[in-house]
Amino acid sequence: MSKIMTVDILSSIKGAKPSEAVSKLFDVIKNAHTSNDGTFNSNHNNAVSIDDLREDVIIESSATEKQIIKENFPKEKKGYLVVSKVIEE
Amino acid sequence: MMESQIKSIHHKLVNKEISCLALVKEKLNLLKSNTHNTVNSLLEDYALALASKVDEKITNGEAIGLLEGIPFGIKDVYMVEGTYTTASSDLLKNYKSAYTATAIQKLLDAGAIPIVKENCDSFGHGSSSENTIFGAVKNAKNPELVAGGSSGGSAVNVAKDFTVFSIGGDTGGSIRQPAGYNGIYGLKPTYGRISRYGLMAYASSTDCVGPIAKSIEDIRIVLNVISGKDTKDQTTYASQNITEESISPNNSIKSVGYFKNFVESEAIDPKIKSDFLSAVVKIKAKGIKVRELDFFKSDTLVSTYYTLAMAETASNLSRLDGTNYGNRIEGENLKDSYSITRSENFSEETKRRIVGGNQVLSQGFSDEIYLKGLALRDQISQNFENDFNEVDVIISPVTPSTPPKIGDSLKDPLAMYLSDAYTVGFSLGQLPTLTVPQGTETGLQITAAKDNDELVLKFANFLKDTI
Repeated sequence: MSKIMTVDILSSIKGAKPSEAVSKLFDVIKNAHTSNDGTFNSNHNNAVSIDDLREDVIIESSATEKQIIKENFPKEKKGYLVVSKVIEE
Repeated sequence: MMESQIKSIHHKLVNKEISCLALVKEKLNLLKSNTHNTVNSLLEDYALALASKVDEKITNGEAIGLLEGIPFGIKDVYMVEGTYTTASSDLLKNYKSAYTATAIQKLLDAGAIPIVKENCDSFGHGSSSENTIFGAVKNAKNPELVAGGSSGGSAVNVAKDFTVFSIGGDTGGSIRQPAGYNGIYGLKPTYGRISRYGLMAYASSTDCVGPIAKSIEDIRIVLNVISGKDTKDQTTYASQNITEESISPNNSIKSVGYFKNFVESEAIDPKIKSDFLSAVVKIKAKGIKVRELDFFKSDTLVSTYYTLAMAETASNLSRLDGTNYGNRIEGENLKDSYSITRSENFSEETKRRIVGGNQVLSQGFSDEIYLKGLALRDQISQNFENDFNEVDVIISPVTPSTPPKIGDSLKDPLAMYLSDAYTVGFSLGQLPTLTVPQGTETGLQITAAKDNDELVLKFANFLKDTI
C-alpha cells in the first residue's frame, strides 16, 4: 500500500475535497498542547472483560426480520438478490 | 413548571376520563396538521391497534402499567421493526428496520405507544435540524428560528405536546441543545447506561440514547425503563433504578462548579452570560458553595470532539454503499457504483464529515491529529475527574447564543461547530448531563460524575424551586 490515495477515493465520494471549515478544526488540534504524563488511554474503560463476553452462539433471525432484509436489498432478479458488478482490477 | 404528564395521563386512563384510542388519535392529528416539519413518518395503524388493546384491558378491569398507553416519539435513527428508518437521508429514504432497538423494545414491553418517527439532522450530522430531506424543523417558540439539533423534531414534538415524551440521540449535544432551544428537559445519560443497539451509529464512543420530556419526573420514569446492561451493546453497564424519593430536593448537594472560561468567552451572548451569573447568585443564596473551575478552551473542545466524531462516522458510514441496502445507483464497475451511490445520496454536511474523518485516519495525518485528539480527550476526562473531587455538580449554559434563523447555519459550518462549545466536552467525558429549561433563554446544563445520573436529576429538582 504505497500508493497515495486521495480523500475522494478513500471516502468513495466523487469529487470530494477537504473542506476549509474542517481544516481549521484540525489546525487547532495540531497547535494544541498535550501533556506527556503517561495518562494516554488511562480513561478508556469501555473494554469488555474476558469473563463478560457474550456467548458465541448463532441466533436465528425471525421470519419477519429475514423478509425485511430481502425487501431492503436494492435489487432482486428472478428470486435472487443482485449485487453490484464485482469484477475488479 | 410542569409536573409528570405520564402520571396525569395514566390516572385519566385508569379512571376512564379518556380512552387510549382518543388520546392516540388526538396526538396523531396534532402531528399530521403540524407545520414545524417534525414528522418523517407516522406509525398510525400500529399505534391505533395498540391503543385499542390498552382500552380493552381497562374495560376488562385489568391493571395497566404506568407507561401503558402513553404515546411517544422516536428520532428517526432508531430501528423499530417494519418501520421506515431514514436517518433523514436520501440514502435510506426507503429503508425499513428489520429489527427493534433495545431501548425502544423496553418501552414497547412497558406498553408505551410509538406514534411517530421524528425529523432530525441526517445521521445526526448537524446542530439545527436543517440537514434533512424532510425540510428544516421549525422552533416550537418561534417558527422562523431553527429547532436545534440533531434531535430537533423530537424536541419540538415534546414542546408542542404532540408527543408525551420522545427518545432522542445525543453524540455531541443533540438532545441537550434542542431541549434548550425549545424550553424543555433533555437528558444525555452516562455513556453505557442505555444500550445503543439499534441506534444508527454516528460516533460510537459518545453516542447516547436519552429521553426528552416536559418534567424531571417523566425523564426519571423513562430513564429507568430504558436503562440496563445489554449483551447486544457490550459497552453497557448495570445501573441502579432511580427512585422518586432519591431525587427529591434536600440539602445534600453542597458544592457546585462552573467553567470560568465558558462565561468569560467572547462568543457568549451578553444576556445569556448575565442570566447565567444571576442563576449562580441564587444558588449561592441557598448556602451552596459555588466554585469557578478551569477548563479547556472552547475551540480545543470543539476541535477534539469533531476530529474524533468525524473519524468514527467515516468508519461507521462506510457500510452505506448501496450493496446490501440503501438507494443503489449502478456505475461502470463496483467502485464506481459505491462512489456514485454515496455522492448522490449523502448530504453536503455528511460528506464533509466523512471526508474529514478519512483525512484524520489516513497515514501522515493520524499521528498529528487523530492520536493527538485521543490524547486531548484523555486530558479532558482527567480534568473532569479532578473537578468532581472538588464539586458535586457542574452547571453551564447550554449554548453561547440563542437559536439562529433558519437558513443561516448551513452557510457557515465552522460557526455551527463552534456553537456546540458547551455541550461537546461532557460528551467526550461520557458524563450524565441534563438540560433544564431555566436560567438562560436556552436553559442550563447540569452535569455530575459518571453513573451519577441520580444527582443530576436531584439538582434539577432543587433548581426548579430555586431559580
